[in-house]
Amino acid sequence: MNKPNLTIKPITLFLATLLAVPGINAAAFDLGGALKEAVEKEIKQKQEAPPAEPQAPAANAENINHNNAAEATAFNWKNPSKDEEVLLGREIAGNLLGAAPLVKDVALQQYVNAVGRWVASQSERPDLPWRFGVIESSDLNAFAAPGGYIMLTKGLYQKLENEAQLAGVLGHEIAHVVKKHQLKVIQKQQLLNMGAGFLSDKYAKDNNLMSKAIGSGAEISARSLDKSAEFEADRLGLSYATRAGYAPLGLPDVLQTIGHSSKNDNSVALLFKTHPHPDDRLSALSDAVGNKLDHMPEGKTLEQRFYQLKN
Amino acid sequence: MIKKIKFSFIGLCLIPLLYANASVAEPGTALKNDSLRTEPYADAKITGKFNRGDNLDILQKKGAWLQIKLNKNTGWVRALSVKRGTASSKSSSGGLQTLASGRAGTGQVVSTTGVRGLSEQELKAAKFNESEVKLLESYTLTPEQGQAFAVAGHLKTVKFSNLKAGKGDTK
Repeated sequence: MNKPNLTIKPITLFLATLLAVPGINAAAFDLGGALKEAVEKEIKQKQEAPPAEPQAPAANAENINHNNAAEATAFNWKNPSKDEEVLLGREIAGNLLGAAPLVKDVALQQYVNAVGRWVASQSERPDLPWRFGVIESSDLNAFAAPGGYIMLTKGLYQKLENEAQLAGVLGHEIAHVVKKHQLKVIQKQQLLNMGAGFLSDKYAKDNNLMSKAIGSGAEISARSLDKSAEFEADRLGLSYATRAGYAPLGLPDVLQTIGHSSKNDNSVALLFKTHPHPDDRLSALSDAVGNKLDHMPEGKTLEQRFYQLKN
Repeated sequence: MIKKIKFSFIGLCLIPLLYANASVAEPGTALKNDSLRTEPYADAKITGKFNRGDNLDILQKKGAWLQIKLNKNTGWVRALSVKRGTASSKSSSGGLQTLASGRAGTGQVVSTTGVRGLSEQELKAAKFNESEVKLLESYTLTPEQGQAFAVAGHLKTVKFSNLKAGKGDTK
């Protein structure tokens, strides 16, 4: 992997922004629709049958691959390895930390990592190098990046009352990583970009693939996922926290709290913009849970060891 | 005259009492149709039903159950069937009413003046910070360390299948 290429350089920033805007690619080429379809098909197939290299379903996709192979950064966008996924996540996490650094409280960070690591061990991807951080921001939000980089804001942490609630929030973000929600969005965008590059040499010669894929700065972290991805992350987050031995209602409790924020409250502006409303998330969770928790043990909330921020 | 003053004095003294009483029961709204039970257990006797959108009062919480008062009935319901706070109008507290309306798409949330917030603009302008990523990575724990932490908290793994989408999921 060509490391120096990973940081975003100002020269490519314009191009990156241009390419990161969905719609431009499709509008610029007649083949946009067909390309998009081929890309979606490609990603789906890769995710379902990973190891062997099956026949590319469309000529476009095949060409994209060859095009990529000639690039200095031979990042396998069609089927990234675990290492590549972590590398991509690192880039996104680094950009996010550029916007909001870690809270300088070692005990807090260690505590959050312990809870997160234990919850992640109950997921379908316990083998990832999971890492967690609380970042300096009064906003209420949490972020996940591919490969197991997870961050939540200090503002959100301050709203939590116990460890089960923290486990629920981290579980939601862990689920995004497990289900590769962000990765799929980036892959799709990148394969589209590369398709555009194939059609127009100007783009193909740009080596800075990573920055093209994730846009400028931590913009990717401000993008919305499908509503269905958020509901799925809620269901899995609750499931992981429950399996970890926590009180299952940690995540719903947090959704109740967030739901009480006014829409005019700036601290939830981005969260409300990128997620379904907490009320809708609660309803969806409620429908999914039904009576499935009726005979479950109560689980632990562990407020007594919940780490209290110094300020 | 003195009598009048006396009465208003008593009245004034009563106001905090009224508020204190009101705060015991927290208002809530039913998220779905469900049953009211005599005890906080699924197999407890069912004493009533309620419908999505019903306003109720939350009396206390016990595990995954809430004791509520609905009209004149008191009973236990699954906590996930109830949303804290009122969804519809009529309560006097204006502050509460704006709560539930922050649906995506309705708010013009472009301007952000919050202190140390994380607006879209700030995220876009962010520059990669290598030392902070290294610091973040330095906290990475092994699965064994996570397990030890769980043992210390007497957390025991529980069998529970991943939840599948319910019917309300597509809303």
